[in-house]
Amino acid sequence: MKITDYKLETYLEQMDRPLGDSNGPEGNDLIVSNILIINTDEGISGIAPLGNNQVANLFKIIEGKDPRETFSHWQNMVRYAFKGGDEGELHNALSAIDIALWDIKAKLNDEPLWKTLGSDDPKCKIYASDIGYCLDDNELYDFFKGMSDKGVDSGKVKIGLSFDDDIRRIGIVYEALAENFKRPKIMIDSNEYWSVKKAIQTINKIEEKYDIFWAEEPARRWDYRGLKLVSKNIKAAVATGENLNNVGDFYPLIDNQAVDILNVSSYQSGITGLRQIGNFAYAYELPVTTMNCIGNYNAQIATSIPNHLMMEVVDPGREKAYSKWNNNIEDGFVHMDNTPGIGLIVDEKKLKEMQNTDYGRKPKVPWSRREGAGLYIKELENQEVKWKVRD
Amino acid sequence: MKIIELKTTLFEFSLDRVMGDANSPRGRTKSGSCLVELITDEGLVGISIGGGNSIPQINLLFEAILKGNDPKTRFGIWKKMVEKFFKGGHDGIANDAISVLDVALWDLRAKINGEPLWKTLGASKKEVNVYASDIALPLCDKELGNWYKKMANNYGFRGAKLKVGLDQDSDLKRLEIMHNALSKNTKEPILYIDSNEYWSPKQTIRKVSEMEERYTLGWIEEPARRWDFLGLKKVSESLKTPVCAGENLDTLGDFLPYFHHRSADVIQISSGMTGITGALQIADAAYGLELPVTLGGSAGILHAHLANVIPNCITVEVPHPEPETKVYEWDVKIENGFAILGDKPGLGITINYEELAKSEVKNISVRSGPSPFGRRQGAGLYEVPPTDDEIKEASSK
Repeated sequence: MKITDYKLETYLEQMDRPLGDSNGPEGNDLIVSNILIINTDEGISGIAPLGNNQVANLFKIIEGKDPRETFSHWQNMVRYAFKGGDEGELHNALSAIDIALWDIKAKLNDEPLWKTLGSDDPKCKIYASDIGYCLDDNELYDFFKGMSDKGVDSGKVKIGLSFDDDIRRIGIVYEALAENFKRPKIMIDSNEYWSVKKAIQTINKIEEKYDIFWAEEPARRWDYRGLKLVSKNIKAAVATGENLNNVGDFYPLIDNQAVDILNVSSYQSGITGLRQIGNFAYAYELPVTTMNCIGNYNAQIATSIPNHLMMEVVDPGREKAYSKWNNNIEDGFVHMDNTPGIGLIVDEKKLKEMQNTDYGRKPKVPWSRREGAGLYIKELENQEVKWKVRD
Repeated sequence: MKIIELKTTLFEFSLDRVMGDANSPRGRTKSGSCLVELITDEGLVGISIGGGNSIPQINLLFEAILKGNDPKTRFGIWKKMVEKFFKGGHDGIANDAISVLDVALWDLRAKINGEPLWKTLGASKKEVNVYASDIALPLCDKELGNWYKKMANNYGFRGAKLKVGLDQDSDLKRLEIMHNALSKNTKEPILYIDSNEYWSPKQTIRKVSEMEERYTLGWIEEPARRWDFLGLKKVSESLKTPVCAGENLDTLGDFLPYFHHRSADVIQISSGMTGITGALQIADAAYGLELPVTLGGSAGILHAHLANVIPNCITVEVPHPEPETKVYEWDVKIENGFAILGDKPGLGITINYEELAKSEVKNISVRSGPSPFGRRQGAGLYEVPPTDDEIKEASSK
């Protein structure tokens, strides 16, 4: 069995709602997406809902090879990336290829990936995440109430730019989840906008009023001393890692006890890399929590990670290119079925439609860092978000 | 697909040489083990060799967790097995039982796929770096020399390990014997030594420093007690030779002090650490800390299947390049100092049931285990060289 060729589909999609955080509070509803399709000589194709033009660079390493040899392909790609490192643009492509190869491996077994990975559990606990600094109070309530009605007992809210607004919005999330749960778990995420001390001051003030399960990215991704200091000075767990690339990036954080909960994803050096990070964390008794992703396919991997806590679900409506994805949320879990592979099936007609659509505007990429980050708070301007109206 | 039946068969066989280490200079000539078979409703059989002392625990886990279950859900089963022994801890005999069952489940999974285990795990390379391991302190110098020569001449080994610990002059001489035999294949033989926790950290530092004046060593194995993370660290910081440790640990959690304190330079793992599932977890954790990994000896050299999916594996221990018993054959060849993996499905181990019936025993005898005489007098304190009586007994075997 051989890998023959690949196709990279790029398209622009208008989501059902905009996404925004402290670095881009105004939000954005147009996203650039990619689908990588790797073909074999036996008619089975593997897909990954990501990828970029660097796939061409890495594809020569796997061309003509047996797709089942996932580990060796991963290692050869990482070795190829030695000098420049398994990061940046190449890293995205490496992850995409690794995911598509795992998709093939599971499809060859005619079983879902969760089973190929040995799990006996087709359901993954989730938490709701707004990524919705741009949402007004009602929209925010409705999102979390909707998830709460599906049995979700934990919610993460984007904060960072205004204490009064932030504490009010945390209260809204609490209230929505408390409709169904006595003590919902609340997580806050400031996306590296604060300095270390600002994080300590703010989170302590929040904790006077709310019990916070974790505070995410309260300092820069690499600042293990800063993160450690935050962890020592707040009651909530420090969660971080979404912007790290591989097991090596986690080394200083784990070794210095700078992180209490790891945010992990299969774009961290693919499914192969994600599982390594999971095991590394497991050795240190640290829980891991998987990130949101298109089609919720991280759930397929999560249930065979020994110390997996729960997976982030944002669900902004960005799966129009798929006729099937892991969207069955009930009782607080995403329930996977027996669709072979990572659980995604491409809808080629809709994909073509989107590729031919002129939206009349451009997506906001890249997602840049906001002025003042790590230094001072640049307050929300009048109507920078629709809910902020200044006198 | 369902697991419907479990079979365990104890057996014993004669070894090709008198085996032993610093704790057992008298040596042993027999080995015993257990064949564990998991049979599915579709007639496939997953096998594993080991766990001879944990049959009650194997039965318990089978009845409580495996029976009637889909063998493909091996991670789920692994987790349930580990959690079953929560209160008492999943180490010791519980770990032995979990390990053999996990290995049998991996064998089944690869057989279901109709491919060798190394491919199920995602490897592409069939060559695995290996070293010859004497485990033969009771052999006299001449016999030992012949064994290393055979390893170098017939199998092309460039690296080998020597059991040391009881007599420094003898150890220095035998180090030279090993070095000279391997010199046939390389200008720079890789020389490993293993004192099996017989020395205190300071004894190790004195003795290995003297050896280092003559040879560059690949590692010193178990130079202090398995749990003594400070002692191991001290040895590592005082010697040029890397410290290799871990073989007597059972679980990932046991390794945490090593990891946190950088007690070992090379992490020794095996599928006897809550199975292949557990061994791969430990390897990933070591990888996160940039620590190399080595795999210990294994029935049917099954560890060779794992080596090429461990990102930071150095080498795999081979005490027997060819089957040491007629009870089973394996699909791994040793050539030019490498293990060459075969294409038979699963672990590639084939059982000869006729021979098994001949070798079957009710109980494995005390002297057939890897530690036939327990820990030796003087261990961690002072060296007690082999007595005349012990030498006589060893040479008569």
